[in-house]
Amino acid sequence: MSRPDPVLLEIVSAALVSVAEEMSVTVWRTSRSTTVRELLDYSTAVFDGQGRNVAQAARMPVHLNSMELCLHHIAAHHIPLDDWRDGDVIVTNDPYSGGQHLPDFIAFKPVFKNGERIAITCVLIHHVDVGGGAAGGYNAKAVEVFQEGLRLPPVRIVRGGMMQDDLFNTILHNVREPETFRGDFLSQIAALDVGARAMLRLADRYGVGALNDIGSALLDHAEHEMRAALSALPDGTYHAEDFVDGDGIEPGQKRISVALTISGSDIALDFSGTSDQAKGPINATMATTTSAVYYAVIAACGVTATVNAGCYRPITVTAPDGCLVNAAFPAPVAMRMLPGHKIATAVLRAFAQVLPDDIPASYYGTTFNHAVNIRHADGRRQVYFDSELGGWGAHPDQDGPNGLAAGFHNGQNTPVEMIEALFPLRFTQYGLAPGSGGAGKTRGGLGIVREWEFLAEDGLLNSAFDAFESLPYGLNGGQPGQGGSLSVTRDGQTTQLLSKTIGHPLRPGDIVRMQTPGGGGHGDPTQRDPDVAKQDRSDGYVR
Amino acid sequence: MAKPRITIAVDIGGTFTDLEFRDASTGAAHSLKSPTTPDDPARGLTDAIALAGARFGFTTADIGLILHGTTIATNAVLTRDLPPGALITTAGFEDVLEIGRHARSDIYALRGPDRTPLIPRRHRFGAPGRIGAAGEVVRDIDLPMLDAVIEQVATSGAQTTAICLLNAFANPAHEIAIRDRLLARCPDMAVSCSHQVSPEIREFERTATTVLNALLVPVIARYVTALRARLIEAEITAPVYLIQSNGGAIGLDAAVQAPVKLLLSGPSGGVLAAQKLAQMLDTPDVVGVDMGGTSYDVAVVAGGERTIVTQGEIDGLPVRVPMVEMHTIGAGGGSIAFVDPSGRLQVGPRSAGAVPGPVCYGRGGVEPTVTDVNLILGRLDAATFLGGRFALDLDGARAALRDRIETPLSLTPDHAAAGILAVVNAKLAASIKFSLFAKGLDPRDFALMSFGGAGGLHACEVADELGITQVIFPRDPSTFSAHGILSSDIQHDLSRTEILPLTPGSLPAINAIADSLRSQGGALLDADHLPDDKRVLNLTADLRYRGQAFELMVAVPDGAITDVTLTTLRERFEDQHRQRFSFDDPAEAVEIVTLRLIAIGILEQGARPAAYAPSETAAQNHRPVHMDGAWHVTPVHRQLALAVGETLSGPAIIEQEYTTLLLPAAWTLTMTVSGDMTVRKRV
Repeated sequence: MSRPDPVLLEIVSAALVSVAEEMSVTVWRTSRSTTVRELLDYSTAVFDGQGRNVAQAARMPVHLNSMELCLHHIAAHHIPLDDWRDGDVIVTNDPYSGGQHLPDFIAFKPVFKNGERIAITCVLIHHVDVGGGAAGGYNAKAVEVFQEGLRLPPVRIVRGGMMQDDLFNTILHNVREPETFRGDFLSQIAALDVGARAMLRLADRYGVGALNDIGSALLDHAEHEMRAALSALPDGTYHAEDFVDGDGIEPGQKRISVALTISGSDIALDFSGTSDQAKGPINATMATTTSAVYYAVIAACGVTATVNAGCYRPITVTAPDGCLVNAAFPAPVAMRMLPGHKIATAVLRAFAQVLPDDIPASYYGTTFNHAVNIRHADGRRQVYFDSELGGWGAHPDQDGPNGLAAGFHNGQNTPVEMIEALFPLRFTQYGLAPGSGGAGKTRGGLGIVREWEFLAEDGLLNSAFDAFESLPYGLNGGQPGQGGSLSVTRDGQTTQLLSKTIGHPLRPGDIVRMQTPGGGGHGDPTQRDPDVAKQDRSDGYVR
Repeated sequence: MAKPRITIAVDIGGTFTDLEFRDASTGAAHSLKSPTTPDDPARGLTDAIALAGARFGFTTADIGLILHGTTIATNAVLTRDLPPGALITTAGFEDVLEIGRHARSDIYALRGPDRTPLIPRRHRFGAPGRIGAAGEVVRDIDLPMLDAVIEQVATSGAQTTAICLLNAFANPAHEIAIRDRLLARCPDMAVSCSHQVSPEIREFERTATTVLNALLVPVIARYVTALRARLIEAEITAPVYLIQSNGGAIGLDAAVQAPVKLLLSGPSGGVLAAQKLAQMLDTPDVVGVDMGGTSYDVAVVAGGERTIVTQGEIDGLPVRVPMVEMHTIGAGGGSIAFVDPSGRLQVGPRSAGAVPGPVCYGRGGVEPTVTDVNLILGRLDAATFLGGRFALDLDGARAALRDRIETPLSLTPDHAAAGILAVVNAKLAASIKFSLFAKGLDPRDFALMSFGGAGGLHACEVADELGITQVIFPRDPSTFSAHGILSSDIQHDLSRTEILPLTPGSLPAINAIADSLRSQGGALLDADHLPDDKRVLNLTADLRYRGQAFELMVAVPDGAITDVTLTTLRERFEDQHRQRFSFDDPAEAVEIVTLRLIAIGILEQGARPAAYAPSETAAQNHRPVHMDGAWHVTPVHRQLALAVGETLSGPAIIEQEYTTLLLPAAWTLTMTVSGDMTVRKRV
């Protein structure tokens, strides 16, 4: 390989990112479900011909940093790369084939020029339903992955440019919202094609050889930047832990324990000491765990170059078989984001010991996914799926932002007016939760309250929440953020529900209220600037 | 007294107030620049008019119409120099403004972005009452509770109030009731209601737009008052219209009510000019690019018409009013080149700005910029820059390039300098590609029209990147916006959101909305005193496949809407969907989300350009210029010495006072009768 010209390197690097962005715009503008089009629960990326991730669109760290692992798993265990043909699209949603949980369908398309595989485009979409025991794929009572929905091993859903209708119809037959699923899936395929065409244009322009050299150089640069940041840190092993609430089946919090070892420019993270895998669906497979670690390490290193697979090279991740963060088949994994967030916050907490001025207290550290199986008076059925997030942890010299995406995921909210136009719900509140940010010299950001009245004939409420008990930690004397909560009020009687709720019946007039966690505080609260504290009271950010 | 014959267009920028006028008696147009007076911009305007009258021989009585582009609203937002305001929302939704859509753009950052809301939480108040999704009243307003809220607003110190209630786009009754009650208590309060500012679904975007409008009302009201006083003082009685973000004109009273429509008032003049020049040169598909010191604005003229979007952004804030579609990136003459920690060459978006500016300005800049590199490569001339009034430090620029780029990357000076230009040109090209891609358009079908101070040195090379073979340089890029403003028409944008299936069953509802929009549009044009033959009403529909989040805007044929119209709309929608996204879905239902009416009042200001004739004498100059990978001794021409029909083959440099054009070897320039230049790539 020749060393590419630094000018060409920069030009092609920007072009590769813009291919991923073009794919992202295509999904955004053509998809159907609120999950994708409003929550933006999808990601796009570009791989070189050898399957190395060279460019990402800035969407969801959880997706982006697991795509390469998934690709390697498929190639190693299911469909060798040499069997991928022009016009094929390979897709899987199997957590035990390199995926994370069943609603996430990861689709790859190889791109060929003169018979040579020059690139692979990838689009991951969280689909609105995948069958199984609960609408939206969050079956809180599942004790096996089989109860979580349809599991698709890596298969060619498109072969030589032809959609495999028998297979596609089989999938559609097994999901609750086939029309929405179909629309989102077509959008996914269209985005893969957009990316493939863009990669062919780049290959025409710069040549396949140059493109390969540049891909390698981009990975090397990212690796170099990571190693430079890691080398600046003192060698040693740093321990930290964080917790996930119980799985809703067995009582008790689950521990995530990490030993972070820096040795020169290498970093190793070992999860020995983590709780055994849970009976319920709060487990993670290594794809999730590794992805969470990658996110946390890249963020802590302050990488400024384009993030790609080169960033992963200095990182080693190990976890005992059968533990919460390396679950063994057929453990259920639907709520894998819950341990995923806490893996990230545990790793960041370990980093805080060597980077005390740069690492904030814990953000809300969870995903507030919820779904309602709706039955209308006329018998029509609908699935309402939504998600929410909370406050940032306080940075050593800055308050945490209120109600803003942080950490391992990213996402938009769905406009209340859009929800009300589509679903039999009427919101009574959407706002910040006063007092939910952890106190400190700098304050944690506030969590969010969502409260709505259920209007249809009947419904079943499912939640995949966390951090009701395992609170977002403060640092350096700062207080933890307030935890989350979920309640239903019927006829003036309020019932507190568990973070993992399945099939709680709803009747017309029921009020559902959820509050997401605030971020942790940083530093001694008595050191807070009195003027700022006064302003907080006047704005009602604190009680 | 003779019929007023003079129409004036004025564009007030940061440094200069540009004026162009047309004399109906001769058809001639002339332009001039005079200094902007930042303490009182209206004085600069009347000064410029007085200067033009004295120079070209007209009196204030000859003036029939003044069209005015202004950056006052934009600057107030960018500097957050806004008056204290209050926000009234449906109780329980006071924080929608602060939470926003809550995704973040930098996914690996551990330090949060600044999210200071435009109105602090203590000045956001929840009102009783509730409108449902279908516009039904779910709960009436409890008056004693409302009065308590209004008392809080009245004592908050707010000069202006935004009212944005849930589902007000479907039924404005509660917003109206609250506004009336508030005005009864606070007669001097400026009030903006969301059903008037942005009557469309999605509460955050509507709230943010309404709040921005409310905060701008006092700003624009103050300016309009000052402007009227200056006009009276100058004895100018002609009506004045301001230019909106959509490129249309709006009367002063209407502008004070809807100042959020003025946020792109300045740039839209450039887009109007691009549209006008595209039509005149019979080149209907044009990408207009405006490259200055810090930013690069891209706008598209397709089929001879500027493209309009229904939502844009200013300084990270969503603004949901129709505006010229403009894609801006941080790349300009002041963009800084540097080597990042991983050893990669980067250019921008950081800019040296005006202060310290490029290294060669000698004002303390130490990092090499795009302008420095243009100087090092001979593309700019230290001796003739800005007419030679401003000495440039070539040695300083070379030293900065050597220390900061050549040495760390082990590059030769030429390779480093040309490389920086290649990187910035690739960025410019990518931003154009992105603008066109989003509409499914192919750059090779477009001509590139370049204006703004820094664009001329990059246009041909950027065109090459994109496979574009025609470039257009306007005659006078420095007063281009004023030129465009002169062709503006009155324009009112109206819209109504109601999600309806595109089926015959919806026809009564669709026709009712269309009729109501048409009568509202008619009433607005009545207020502008426009005769029937000067009115155009264009109806469009925002359509999508059921469940999509984004709509495509489709023109609705004139007349009553029937089954046949619906078929036409579906066909037009699917054509656009295929073009933009490369697929359609005939099996899926289509729905109407919003109907829009554009009510146009034709002002007929289409000036014929003054005939061009050379005003300078040709001088034979040459200098070494690096282009196409090597140094060439290159002829340097004076733009204003070129004769009509004269052609130049590259490599060449063409200079005028404010800009320099670079013509690479494969390109040929032709001077047209209007003084604009067309450049084609030889094949």
